[in-house]
Amino acid sequence: MKRRDFIKNTLATAATVGCAAALGPLGMPGAPSPTNAAVPLRPPGALDEDDFLSRCIRCMRCIDACPNNTIVPLDDGFGEETQSTPAIKARRQACMLCQGVEGEYLKCGEACPTGALEPVRKNAQDIQEKVDMGTAEIDFELCYSYNNWSCGACFRACPFPGQAMTIGMWERPQVNPDFCIGCGLCERACIRYPQAVRVKPKSERGQTPARKPAPMPKPRWGAES
Amino acid sequence: MTRHQKKHWVLQVCRQLTRLTVLALVVTIVYLSLYAHYRAAKAMEDEQFLDGVNGTVLKRIDQHVSEMEEPQAFLDDYKGTLWSMRVAGVDVADPLAAAEMTATSKAIHWPLLLSIVIPVGITVLLGRVFCSWMCPAGLLFEWAQGLRRLLRLAEIKPGNVRFSHHNKYVLLSVGLLMGLIFGLPTFALIYPPAVLSRLTHAVIFGTAFTGMVVVLGVMLAVEVFVSPRWWCRTMCAGGALYALLSWARPVRVKLLRSKCTGCRDCEPVCPMGIYPVAKSNSIECDNCGLCLRHCPDDALVFSIGLPGERGRSRDHKSPTRNKSTLAKTASVLAFTLTMLWSSSANAHHILGLPHYSYKENYPQAPTLEYPATTGPYDLVMTSYPGKPVPGESANVAFYIKDRNTLAPYAQQVKVRLIQTSTFGSNKVLVPPTTVDAFDKTHKISMVFPDEGEYIVELTMDVEGQTEVIPFLVVAGDPTATASVLIVIGVGMVGFIVIVRAIKIKRARRDAQRNGESSSAPPVVA
Repeated sequence: MKRRDFIKNTLATAATVGCAAALGPLGMPGAPSPTNAAVPLRPPGALDEDDFLSRCIRCMRCIDACPNNTIVPLDDGFGEETQSTPAIKARRQACMLCQGVEGEYLKCGEACPTGALEPVRKNAQDIQEKVDMGTAEIDFELCYSYNNWSCGACFRACPFPGQAMTIGMWERPQVNPDFCIGCGLCERACIRYPQAVRVKPKSERGQTPARKPAPMPKPRWGAES
Repeated sequence: MTRHQKKHWVLQVCRQLTRLTVLALVVTIVYLSLYAHYRAAKAMEDEQFLDGVNGTVLKRIDQHVSEMEEPQAFLDDYKGTLWSMRVAGVDVADPLAAAEMTATSKAIHWPLLLSIVIPVGITVLLGRVFCSWMCPAGLLFEWAQGLRRLLRLAEIKPGNVRFSHHNKYVLLSVGLLMGLIFGLPTFALIYPPAVLSRLTHAVIFGTAFTGMVVVLGVMLAVEVFVSPRWWCRTMCAGGALYALLSWARPVRVKLLRSKCTGCRDCEPVCPMGIYPVAKSNSIECDNCGLCLRHCPDDALVFSIGLPGERGRSRDHKSPTRNKSTLAKTASVLAFTLTMLWSSSANAHHILGLPHYSYKENYPQAPTLEYPATTGPYDLVMTSYPGKPVPGESANVAFYIKDRNTLAPYAQQVKVRLIQTSTFGSNKVLVPPTTVDAFDKTHKISMVFPDEGEYIVELTMDVEGQTEVIPFLVVAGDPTATASVLIVIGVGMVGFIVIVRAIKIKRARRDAQRNGESSSAPPVVA
């Protein structure tokens, strides 16, 4: 009877541990998410993806704190281990860096109890220094301004106009990766679909094999059918 | 009912009320957060956003909050879930959350450790009262015992397997070690109060929650069909941590040996499955006070004493003490290891003032994207509106781009729309239609007639070969159809169970009647 009890309890515990591990650390990668990104865009002040996942306790406080309803809990589109972690889907709602909201810090970093999101003060210097969600990338083939229409919606949305995004003749936008923090406001503002500008999350930078940056198209003077 | 019992009946009512208050607090905090979002978006001024239950609640909150002097400061003081929460401006976290986060990140984060001071303090003084007086999952599992009675009524015998109380200490140590090794949390995903309160959040905010329902559903199924109060007694890692913390609690259940008649009435009522007469000193006791309420001899009382004094009534030494020590020591070791492995993290503070502003919020509709790759091409299908509305026209666009040359695909493609069907064959709604490239993309307008799943099939030429790429598109909300099917299925099973129960009850009654009329042995149908 003693041995039977031991086996019974060991099996029950092992089954629970197994199920729990399958939900978390040993989980299968999720079904491909219906978006182009391979990794989620994290809120401002987030640590690097691995550190972030180990720090985040899935308490929903940053989601509650975000004044713009920008941060959403992930479903399993990015793999089980990211379940319920906070992310930004820029096309749905982009990070406004808490502009027009009371308070000294960005609300999400202030609310985070574990330091998975660092507190960032709401001034340009601190945001530039600490916030690196990703970098915007422009698809020159799709962008209206590079294809005989003039648009400029992304430039008007950029919180660092003239620094993170500059604009040339016919409102042709250019991203400066040194200044772009990946807030996603340009992606949200883009009037083209599929959108011509996207934020590449910072954790994707390391994953993709080194590739030459997209060549700048030569200026095309006049109409070109 | 004696005076003693009446007193403890009041105590039990207080206990249930405290629990319901905690549950109400969890729900209120979620609604306050939702209200904060609405307020920031100035949506409270627009009736069209305020329909349904949420709208009613938000309007109610608005009446009270908008009258305050500093509404935003008030709202900032209420955030989060039971796993980590800000209540009235005070940060409170579950000790298990802090332990696990310390294990997974291998870093000590002082604000988090400070926020467990209150729960740890309460546990050290009053025992595992979180489990019995606060945990909403405990309330859920207690109510689930009613389902077991319902099962018995339906002539299905619910299992009564007894597992060892030590399992939870093993689970706690294994979970912390897994956290240390993999750097990813597990308890956050299975700890019932955290899951339940996150589920509340997801339901009210309208985000995905299927996974959490599955976790709680499995636990409930085990509770109901296999082993009563299985999770709290034998598996809850949080309970294990609270139990270890309550080792030296001054407030504990004390047995007045002179009054006890040994009737064992207290044994079946104990939610933790211990025999209070023999084990009231055990760390498994969560000080719920149910045994006090059910003692006919007033032999069990709450006593307050210094930790040293409890040694006096230790004559009932548990025979399993030695076995349990191993599991408990293991979890204490795992906890210590976690703390030793971790190092202190740095704080970051730089001063400055805001100098720019951005308030515009573009009303750009979101689009869903479906990525794919074939040969050298990266494809992305977008649809507008993002989620096709059944019966309305949706614009579907394919953007096909050569990965190496970055040039868009300029040739013709063929597109076909197929409606999938769970029962029967798929229906082709749009026969293969040739689509020319226009403005770098291939665009086609389609109508998805009903709610359900569709396949948009793209046929294109890849380096001389014809490739077919299917994209799965969901129109409307087909889970509504699925839930109807589930309800029908559950209804059918329920019908069968009821018919079976009636048959068994009738057979038993007939057998009894036969037994009364003749002395023949009862026949079981």
